[in-house]
Amino acid sequence: MTVDIPTRINPMIRHRAGHIGRAVPRREDRSSLMGRQRYIADLKLPGMLEVAFVRSPEAHARILGIDTEPARALSGVLAVFTGADLVDVESFPQKIPYIQPVGQRPLAEDRVRYVGSPYAAVVATDRYVAEDAATLVAAHTEFDPLPTVANLDQALTGDGARLYDDWPDNYLVNFPDDKPDVMKAFDEADHTFSDTYVSQRQTGLPLECRGVLAEEVDGRLTVWSSTQSPHIVRTTIAEMIGIPEPRVRVIAPAMGGGFGTKTHIYPEDVVVPWIARKLGRPVRWLEDRFENLVSAVHARDQRHDVNVAYDDDGTIRAIRCKAYCDVGSGEIFMPGTATVFVTGGVLTGAYDFQNMEVHHFCVVTNKTPSGAYRGFGTPEGMFVMERIIDRVARLTGTDRVAIRRRMMLREDQMPYHMHSGGRIDSGSHAKSFERAVELIGPSVERARAGYADDPDVRVGVGYTNYVEPTTPTYHLTTGHWGGYDSATLRVDPDGAVRVGLGTTALGQGTETTAAQLASDALGVDPDDVTVVMGDTDRAPYGLGAWGSRSAIVMSGSILMAADRVMTKARAIAAHMLEASPDDILLTDGRFHVAGSNTPTVTWSQVATAAWVRTVDLPRGLEPGLEMTGYFEPPGLEHLPGSDGKVNAAASWSNGAHAGVVSVRVSTGEIKIEDYVVVHDCGTMINPMIIDGQVHGGVAQGIAGAMYEHFQYDPETARPRFASFMEYLYPTCSEVPAMTVEHFETPSPDQPLGVKGCGEGGTIGPAAVVAGAVSDALGDLGVEIVATPVTPSSIRQAIREWSGSEGGS
Amino acid sequence: MKPAAFDYYRPTTIGDAIEALGSSEVSKVLAGGQSLIPSMNFRLSLPELLVDIRDVDGLDKLEADPEGVTIGASVTQSRVMAYEGAADIVPGLRSALRFVGHLQIRNRGTVCGSLAHADPAAELPALAIATGATIEIRGPAGVRTVGAGDFFLGPFWTDLGHGEIVTGVHFPAQPSGGVTVVDEIARRSGDFAIAGLAAVFEIRGGAVGAARPVSFGVSGVAGRMAAAEEAIRGFDPGNDGSDLYAAAYEDAADAVDDVHANAEYRREALGALLVRAARSAVGSNGDRTGV
Repeated sequence: MTVDIPTRINPMIRHRAGHIGRAVPRREDRSSLMGRQRYIADLKLPGMLEVAFVRSPEAHARILGIDTEPARALSGVLAVFTGADLVDVESFPQKIPYIQPVGQRPLAEDRVRYVGSPYAAVVATDRYVAEDAATLVAAHTEFDPLPTVANLDQALTGDGARLYDDWPDNYLVNFPDDKPDVMKAFDEADHTFSDTYVSQRQTGLPLECRGVLAEEVDGRLTVWSSTQSPHIVRTTIAEMIGIPEPRVRVIAPAMGGGFGTKTHIYPEDVVVPWIARKLGRPVRWLEDRFENLVSAVHARDQRHDVNVAYDDDGTIRAIRCKAYCDVGSGEIFMPGTATVFVTGGVLTGAYDFQNMEVHHFCVVTNKTPSGAYRGFGTPEGMFVMERIIDRVARLTGTDRVAIRRRMMLREDQMPYHMHSGGRIDSGSHAKSFERAVELIGPSVERARAGYADDPDVRVGVGYTNYVEPTTPTYHLTTGHWGGYDSATLRVDPDGAVRVGLGTTALGQGTETTAAQLASDALGVDPDDVTVVMGDTDRAPYGLGAWGSRSAIVMSGSILMAADRVMTKARAIAAHMLEASPDDILLTDGRFHVAGSNTPTVTWSQVATAAWVRTVDLPRGLEPGLEMTGYFEPPGLEHLPGSDGKVNAAASWSNGAHAGVVSVRVSTGEIKIEDYVVVHDCGTMINPMIIDGQVHGGVAQGIAGAMYEHFQYDPETARPRFASFMEYLYPTCSEVPAMTVEHFETPSPDQPLGVKGCGEGGTIGPAAVVAGAVSDALGDLGVEIVATPVTPSSIRQAIREWSGSEGGS
Repeated sequence: MKPAAFDYYRPTTIGDAIEALGSSEVSKVLAGGQSLIPSMNFRLSLPELLVDIRDVDGLDKLEADPEGVTIGASVTQSRVMAYEGAADIVPGLRSALRFVGHLQIRNRGTVCGSLAHADPAAELPALAIATGATIEIRGPAGVRTVGAGDFFLGPFWTDLGHGEIVTGVHFPAQPSGGVTVVDEIARRSGDFAIAGLAAVFEIRGGAVGAARPVSFGVSGVAGRMAAAEEAIRGFDPGNDGSDLYAAAYEDAADAVDDVHANAEYRREALGALLVRAARSAVGSNGDRTGV
């Protein structure tokens, strides 16, 4: 059965003023700011027990034995479970055909592959006792250490240490590429250069760590989980524990962010419900910050070995890129394999460039598994592309803005098919860049003038032009799910509307934007719209909130459901007004016959007829006024074609970032003097929320550019971090005030022309800061080739590059 | 991140506090708790008994006279920062304290607690050495005082014996013609320094007569810089700083590598900080009271 997908608000609805496009204040802010939101840490059930997980102190070891008796003997301890107790639980599913088998068990059984890997769970009356017992379990575990793999080099060329005995090597994914046109360009071009670009290991770092609370009553399991995808958690729990899916309810209560880390399904999501069933008591586990740093997914750990062919005039002829992602131990569901493909796929950003060869590799090491983080491979790609462009500009003496102008995508090229198959439907690529250049100009002059008297300080400017793939397929990430999402609209007897959504809220204002959409889609006041989500019992199946998808999937599914509601409502109103349904319009919340403003029928009268006074319904019409839309974004592809290309995103937002930095040569101290973002996510539902997304995204981008870095000891593969003493996020003192402007180039394909905006802010800063620092230190020959850019790394670069071939 | 079980005692007299501390082999003094409590949550510190000294009579003394500033063990960093009486007498206190954590940390953290904790990257131990502060200690054997130069023995290691409490510190007044500079480089505002310098300069006729620079955040303990003390004599506004830089670099031969900066960076940064400080000190003609 095919469906008609509405692309705009039902033309039978006439508003005095719509709510889409307005900076409607966030309805969830008051409770957030007043401490009235209820997070998992606020939820307590009668008789609830607390769980502490015992985590491996070893990076790579066999577990020879675990003596749980001393822990069990501790007063207040109810149970200790190890991997051997969970024999009745299935392994985590692995549904992507082309990756090596990992066979992840819910708890590590005979082998641990990273520090932080959970291998036992202690249940006690409170968390203090649980941690006392966890310490005892750890003290009575016998490990046989194995040779460790601490980084990419060791994984590829080390002494042969392997994480998985039955694999031939440490490649989880090995996708070489070979393009004859690229080879040819290297033969013909005037020059070539090679370089290696490195993005460091980070994590999404939500303010609220993870948490799971579960209880089983009368054979029905309820799980509260701080997850971005409650329905997917439900399906996975049911499958792994072996319970009929209707007997599992998953609730994602108020959440303090996720940033991709909470899209994954973790051992704790399965083990805590299993314990609740086993003990017949409610049990809860709250992730502490140490656990969050070592066991929530990491990301961005990529290296790119690049060859570039270019001509004297600054024309880039071809790029060959070996893209490596260090995915840690690989023991995570969904696997962390998709990001590097996104990096390769969008590496060319908002530039018209086709002659690419990208080899994709995912390599396992004895580190925390990696996975999703806001930007999902895009920041790493733009870092590589802008470094290449700046390098070619420097080598050929071409102006850095001019070389970009020559390469920018033009409006007459839309839709533009990228080298990877990405289909950029529309955008303001060149226009956004021009505006960013215009905005940053005075800031550069101001900074130069400000430091004119200090010869130790240099000023530089950096640029990036990115595209942001939004509403991607989940099939290439999970091997299972696709790309749709859902909305149920119900008009209650009083005429107020309840929206149930398959997506969920992480703090990004979804309640507010969903209410704006539904109020316009049904011609009601936003105050009359209630939004529920994050509960598998109260909302239809959906895939959750990730991949900058909520704007598109909410728009589509709400419009679909609204059209269905409207069709029925007009039939009811027509019956009341003794007219034909085709002649019924809805103007400012009242149904009437076209051409006549009276008499009118209200939503309340229509809904009362549907639910209560069914005697008023037209003969034969089914009672009720509730409709659901399952929206699959048009144009979204889930599998590559025979040429290996795939348009894996429903739409493509774009943006240009530019930033000015000052660098103190003697100490490497760096300051972002100004930062501008010109942003285009198509039709804006709520410009204030979009500004917030950009601000927060830039802050996380700056985190990657200058601060956050998970470092591991190369000898032992042990983390060199345990807390925020070592893992530095930027605070409000480090994030500069920024200028954000918008263009609105509507998507021609997606409902209302919306595109999605959750990740664009994170994409730019690494490229911009690296470009600006390299520019500032250009006369010293410095090329920044790795993030984070820190005082120590800047001094290192000055020592290494001064007097090298790059210097002039 | 929950601490192991411990006993908690909150005495009101110094005698009771000392007796309680001595009653357990594994006892710890709690004042602001800004370093101790996190380390207990990580179970890196496993005290059986915490003796909270915040209610102990007489430890909340904060006094300034022309000789200097005296700070009791329960006096918070915020209180010292806000104390106008100390600003002119020991200007280095404010210069150092503005780098100590954030407002919330300074509202609880104490000056004496920071000295007793002896973090090698902390500002206050370095300031204490640079200014020649005297630390007052009480224990089972009575009262004793130790010069800051002899108090800090290594990373998180001091002259303090078991059962002893730092009850106060006396910072001597900045000498006439003196300039105190506290400067540091940190990854973020409020972080521990990756290279830091506290120095008291004596300015004579527009040049440095003598100075006592002390590094922090560079090696395992805050310490005086012998080569720099030598090289800095006679430093004037016309000096290009290269000898001073080289001396500081030499003094930092035992600089440490960590996740925030490598040793070479710390050596270079200390050199740059010292040259910057010396220039600022001589540029000030000796009449500036802190930077």
